Amino acid sequence: MASEIEKGTKYIPEMTQSEIDDLNKSMKTSSLKVIEDNIEKMKKSWKDRPQVMEYFDEISNLFGKRQEEIKQQKATGKKVIGYSCIFAPIEMILAADAIPVRVGSGWYDSAKLGDRIMPVEVCPVIRSTVGAKMVNLSPFLELSDAIVMPLTCDGRTKLSEMLADHKPIWRMNPPRVKDDPHTLSMWKQEIMVIKEKIEKLTGNKIDRKNLKTAIEKMQQATKAFRRLQELRKGNPVINGRDAMLVNQTSLWDDIERWTQKVNELCDELEKRLEQKEYSTYPDTPRVMLTGTPMIWPDSWKVPNLIEESNPQGVVVVDEQCSGDRILYDPVGVDEWTMSDMIDAIGERYLMACTCPCFTSEHGNEDRINWIIDRIKEYKVDGVIYYVVRGCILYAMEYQRIKNVLDKMNIPVYYLDTEYTREDVGQMKTRVEAFLEMLEARMDI
Amino acid sequence: MLEIIAETLRITIAVALILAGMLAIVIWVRNNTRKLSTLRLFVQIVAVVLIFLGLIIGPFGQDQWEYLGTAPKDIAIGKEIFGRPYPDGLTVPTFSCYYASGRTATCVVWQLQSYLFPDFGTSSVYSTSGVERLAIATGLLILMSIIFGRFLCGWICPFGLYMDLLTRLRKALKIKHWTLSDRTNEVLRQSRYLIIATFLILSVILGMRAIAGVELVSETELGRYLEIPFCQVCPAKPLFVLVEGALGFMDVDYMLSQTIGDFALTGWYLTSINLVILGVVTVGSFKIRRLWCRICPLGGLIAIFSRFGPFKKISLIKLTKVEEKCTKCGICKRVCPPQVTEVYDDKGGDVTVSSCILCFRCVEMCPYEGCLQVEVAGKPIYKSKNWLKEEE
Repeated sequence: MASEIEKGTKYIPEMTQSEIDDLNKSMKTSSLKVIEDNIEKMKKSWKDRPQVMEYFDEISNLFGKRQEEIKQQKATGKKVIGYSCIFAPIEMILAADAIPVRVGSGWYDSAKLGDRIMPVEVCPVIRSTVGAKMVNLSPFLELSDAIVMPLTCDGRTKLSEMLADHKPIWRMNPPRVKDDPHTLSMWKQEIMVIKEKIEKLTGNKIDRKNLKTAIEKMQQATKAFRRLQELRKGNPVINGRDAMLVNQTSLWDDIERWTQKVNELCDELEKRLEQKEYSTYPDTPRVMLTGTPMIWPDSWKVPNLIEESNPQGVVVVDEQCSGDRILYDPVGVDEWTMSDMIDAIGERYLMACTCPCFTSEHGNEDRINWIIDRIKEYKVDGVIYYVVRGCILYAMEYQRIKNVLDKMNIPVYYLDTEYTREDVGQMKTRVEAFLEMLEARMDI
Repeated sequence: MLEIIAETLRITIAVALILAGMLAIVIWVRNNTRKLSTLRLFVQIVAVVLIFLGLIIGPFGQDQWEYLGTAPKDIAIGKEIFGRPYPDGLTVPTFSCYYASGRTATCVVWQLQSYLFPDFGTSSVYSTSGVERLAIATGLLILMSIIFGRFLCGWICPFGLYMDLLTRLRKALKIKHWTLSDRTNEVLRQSRYLIIATFLILSVILGMRAIAGVELVSETELGRYLEIPFCQVCPAKPLFVLVEGALGFMDVDYMLSQTIGDFALTGWYLTSINLVILGVVTVGSFKIRRLWCRICPLGGLIAIFSRFGPFKKISLIKLTKVEEKCTKCGICKRVCPPQVTEVYDDKGGDVTVSSCILCFRCVEMCPYEGCLQVEVAGKPIYKSKNWLKEEE
C-alpha cells in the first residue's frame, strides 16, 4: 500500500483531458502566431535578409520540421535527451548517438498556467516550463526520454521535482565555488555519473573514439559560432535578433547541419561586409544584452523593441546563456585519452561558465571580465541589463556590474520585466529613452 | 666480455633511438595542427644535434683529447674565441653534459663545481686561471638566464627532449598521465634550491681535499669524481654517455668506465647512482610530464637569475596574461607540463614563475584571443588565438 506521502507526491494537479487539449491548442496557436510575428518583424527591419536565414526561420518553428525529424529518428530507436541548461555535457549525449535538445521554455502563456502550482515570485522561465508540461505544449520536452537537469538555482531545483512526475530526471549538482580543485573533481564525478546514465539509457557505450568524434563535432560548431560572433564586431552586417535566433536554433537543431548552415551564412555576410552592405546604419547605437536568458519565441520582445524603436539600436553582443555563451567556449583536449577528454569536458562546462550562480574569493569576477572584454571588443555604447522578475541571481549581481560599468563610463540600463506582453508599451518608452541617450552621447 | 656488453648496449640504444625518431616523425605529421608544439620539437632536436654533435660535424681533423675517447672533439674552441685554451666550450645552463664527448656547450653545473677549487687534476690543459673560468661560467649563466630564462629548459635542454619524447610515447600509447598535487609540486619546487646549494657546498668542501690536515678525498680517480658531486647523481650523464657511445661517437671503454665503471679505478657504485636515478626519472616522467624539471637544480639556478629580485624586471622573455579576456576555463592549468598553477590563478600581467619552463603550451591551447601572450623585451611575439580556426 502506498504511503500518504506517495499518494500526495505529485506536484502537478490533475486536469481533465479536454481542458489540457483546449489549453494546448490555444497556446500552440498563439505561439505559432508569435513565431510568425517575430520572423515577420525581423524580415521587415532587415530589408535584404540573406536567403540562408530562411533555414533558421524554418528550424525556429518549434512545432515544425525539426519536431518531425526527431520523431522519425526516435522511431528508429534513437534516444532523445533533453537538457535544461548549458551545464549539460552535450558531447556525451552526442557520443552515445542520442539527440540533445534544450527543453527550457519561453512561452508567456504557459507561465500564467504555471502560476497555478508555483508562487508568482518564482522566475517565469521555471513557471513557463511547468506550465508547458501541464498541457504538453513543449514538443522537445514531450519527445525527450530523459532530462539532464543541472540544479543551478532554486527554481531549477524544484522544477526538477515537478518534472520528475513525468520524466526521468538526471540531476547534476554544479558546485557554487568553481576555482577550488576539490569542487572540480566533484563536478567531474557528476559528469561520470551522467555518462553512465546516458550509456544505460541508450545502450551505447561512450568510448574514446565516439567521444572524440563528438568533441570534434562540437568544436566545429564552436568554430562556426565564433565566426558569426566575429562578424558582429564591425559595422552591423547582421541584426542582433537574427544572430540570436541563429545561436538559439543550435540548441535543438542537428548540430552538423547547423554548423554547415552557419558557415554558409557567414560566407554570405563576409561578402556583404566587403561590399559594405550593412543590415542597418553603421552609426546605430551598439547595445549589449546581459542577464536572464532570453528564450525563443516570446522573449524576443526586448530585442524587437531595441531594433525597431526610434532611434534604432542594434544588439551586437550579449552575455547570456541563451546567446553568446552557448557555444563560445571550446573543449580543449590536451591528450586524447578518455580521462583527459572527460576532464576537458568537465572544465569546459564548469570553469568556462560565467553564470551568476557561481561565486569565488573575488565574487563572480569572470562574468564582469567577460562583460568588460565584450564592451571593448565590440565597441558597445550601452548595456541593457535584462532581468525577469524572480531571477534573483542576475538581479543581485546588477549593482556590482553597474559600479564597474560606471567607472568605464558605459551607460547601463536595468530593464526588469515579466513573462507578459502587457508591458510592451511602457517598455518601449523606457528603451527608446535609453537609446536616445546613447545617440546623444555618440553625437558628442 | 666487455665488448659483448658494449655491442649489446650499442645496438639496443641505436634501435631505441631510431624508433624514437620514427615516432617523432609520425607524431609530427599527425599533429601538425598544433604548430607551436611541432616547432618546439623541431628546435629541441636541432639543439640536441648542435650540442652533442656540433664538434663532430663541424671542425674535422682536429687534435683530440685522449681522456675523453677517440672522437674529434674537445678541441680548444677557446683558442679561437679567447685566444687561450678553454676546452669546455660555451657555458650553457642546460644538461649539455660534459661527459658526452662531442659537445659544443657545457653544463654550467659541471663548470661551477669543477672550477670552484683551484687544483683540478687536468688544470694543465687550461691556461686560464680558476677564477677566470669561474667568472666566465657565472657570467654566461647570468647572461643566458636573463636573455632566455627557462626558455632554455623548454626548448633547448636535451634532457627535456628526452622527457618530451617519453610523454609523446605515452600519448601515442593512449595511457593517461598522473598529476601531482599542488602541494607536492610546491615541495619539489622548493627542494631545487636545497639540492643545488647542497651540492655546490659539497663540491667546495670536497674540492679542498683536506681540511686542517685531515684528508677527505685522495688523489685517485675516485677522488676526481667526488670533487664534482652533482654529476654523480645527475640522470643526464649516463643517458648522454650511453647515447653517444651507442652512436659510435665515443670510446667504448671510456663509456663503460662512465656507466658501469672500472671497479678498481672509479668506484662503480658512484656511477650506478646515476643509472638508478635515470631509471627512476625515466619511469616517472613516462607517467608524469616533465618530472625532472620540477626538481631540476639547474632550472632553479636559471630561475634565480631570471625570476627573482632585480632579474625579474630585466629578464627578456615573459609570459603575460590579460585578465579581462580570461574566463578561467582552466585549460592552461591542465595542459601545463610542469603543472604551473600561477598562470591560471594570477590576476593578470606578468605570470611567469620560477617553475614555468616557457614551453608556451598554455598560450597554444588558450582558446581566447590575446588572453595569454609571450613577450620578448615587452613586445608581444606570440598570442593565444582561436585555435579552432586552424583545424581544417
